[in-house]
Amino acid sequence: MKFLPLVLRHLRHNWLRTLSTVVAMAVCIFLFCTLETFVEATKYNLKSANDSRLVTRHNVSLVFPMPVSYRERIKSLPGVKRVSVSNWFGGKYKDDMKLFFPSFAVDGEEYLAMYPEYLLDDAARSAFFKDQRACIVGQETADRFGWKVGDSFQLESFIPRYRKESPFEFMIAGIYKTDTVRHPGTNGTIMIFHYKYLYEATSQKAQVGSFVTQIEDPAMAVTISRQIDELFENSDSATKTETEAAFRASFVSLGGNLALLLRSIGVAVTFTILLVTANTMSMAIRERRTEIGILKTLGFSDGRVLGIVLSESTLLGILGGTVGIVLAHNMIQVLPRLPFIGDAVRGFPRLGLSLPTAAFGFGTAVLLGFVAGLIPAFLSYRARITSLLRHV
Amino acid sequence: MATIEVENVRKVYHRDAEELVVLDGITVEVPDGDYVALMGPSGSGKTTLLNLIAGIDRPTSGTVTVAGTELTALSERDLAQWRSRNVGFIFQFYNLIPVLNAEENVALPLLLTNLSRSERKKRALMTLELVGLADRSNHFPRQLSGGQEQRVAIAQAIVTDPSVLLADEPTGDLDARSAEEILRLLETLNRDLKKTIVMVTHDPRAAQRARTQKHLEKGVLVS
Repeated sequence: MKFLPLVLRHLRHNWLRTLSTVVAMAVCIFLFCTLETFVEATKYNLKSANDSRLVTRHNVSLVFPMPVSYRERIKSLPGVKRVSVSNWFGGKYKDDMKLFFPSFAVDGEEYLAMYPEYLLDDAARSAFFKDQRACIVGQETADRFGWKVGDSFQLESFIPRYRKESPFEFMIAGIYKTDTVRHPGTNGTIMIFHYKYLYEATSQKAQVGSFVTQIEDPAMAVTISRQIDELFENSDSATKTETEAAFRASFVSLGGNLALLLRSIGVAVTFTILLVTANTMSMAIRERRTEIGILKTLGFSDGRVLGIVLSESTLLGILGGTVGIVLAHNMIQVLPRLPFIGDAVRGFPRLGLSLPTAAFGFGTAVLLGFVAGLIPAFLSYRARITSLLRHV
Repeated sequence: MATIEVENVRKVYHRDAEELVVLDGITVEVPDGDYVALMGPSGSGKTTLLNLIAGIDRPTSGTVTVAGTELTALSERDLAQWRSRNVGFIFQFYNLIPVLNAEENVALPLLLTNLSRSERKKRALMTLELVGLADRSNHFPRQLSGGQEQRVAIAQAIVTDPSVLLADEPTGDLDARSAEEILRLLETLNRDLKKTIVMVTHDPRAAQRARTQKHLEKGVLVS
């Protein structure tokens, strides 16, 4: 510890170089933590997927709708317990995308029976089933807008076929809670309302974006998925049915391995910063050859000089890691409020920098600093005093 | 009693196949409390001999014994520890650490002791006072004149109270007035604090201030 002031003086003396190295490292850790947070959020989202639920969509894309009549045909298959429409409504609150939350038009009774993870009391359920304009909102969304049961609000969809002259009116019949221990990954932000309301309000033009099917036996998921798709394979709107987990995975990864892609970016950035930091440390030590010679002449052992150089580079890592984590934490809080980007990230439940991710990011930064200092430290360790002082 | 005993020392450097003999069978004794000026033309081996006595280089053959310790027998680690306790080194170009102020530069060797921070500071200030720079303790090397920098360097060399001071052309980079101040300071350290001093110099006037003069030529002691 008594050598720390010497290390700090050097970092402060070359403040521009120190600053640029710390910023480079901070950006690296910031990117790493932010990307990892999204990977975690994606995985968390998948945790709530249930093997007994299948999702059927148009086989070309989610964008294309299917006829509502498919519901009864799917329900008629053996092994199928329940079927519900699940239409992404794309509702805008107060016509402001910054206030966005996910909204779905569903077959109320069927849907809630399929999703026991939305914890609702009987009074709320019954109020929801009785009123066509009623809706259920997640606790997080209710808290966000200060809503309580009985409140009303309006939404307008940004999807053209769901638009009408005036916005949709909704009344909050219930606020669902989530149990993250029993049902990890449950989204606490969504709002559901009756598909019938959407269907009638759009003069029966609203078709269906996806169907959720609950089956009796999860082991039959593959067979029943195939049977559903076979029902419609010769129609105009052929379908693609898969388990809810597979559907969410393909949806969030947009067809690719998102986690691998994000982590590859993180590793590439980290490696680049390692080279930059190692170069900075090499330059710093090369400039101080005489000083290292002086320290050794004064009686500082080779090991102690190695320790001082490694401390300096490790301290850069600690500083960079700390700044990077603070940046990532703040940015993750701010992202959902930003235009455009915010729209994309608001759908992630529990988006926040987790302690393991922060600890891993910090550890990576410290290791990065340490490794970057290894070669210059070793060269300082080995250098002979006479050769170090020859540069005087 | 001799503080420094150099016995039949050879120092040979190898450059590819070429063998360069820098010191060739040097034997010299410096008694306790002596002040020796080591003179000779460039390349005669003065600095190499000084480095061997300081324990910052090792002879190819022969032995170097300083303050009762045979340096050639010590490991690198033990040699570093020995240097921190027994010798003070004064360079021609002062070699202060630019990011530390005068007091911190002087206190640097004390980091290797068990002294507390306040004791280190107290001792560094006392030593700066001894060299007449108490009022410059917060100044950085760039804020000091050459003579002042060299005085700080001398304070750094004596702060651990070593018995031997080794100076490699301590006045070589100074004007006449500053050089005189440094020589006077070295005389004081030798006379009043009984430091054994070996000084390498090109300057005959500086050499005359020492008690003993020794001449090296082509790696051999000629007088």
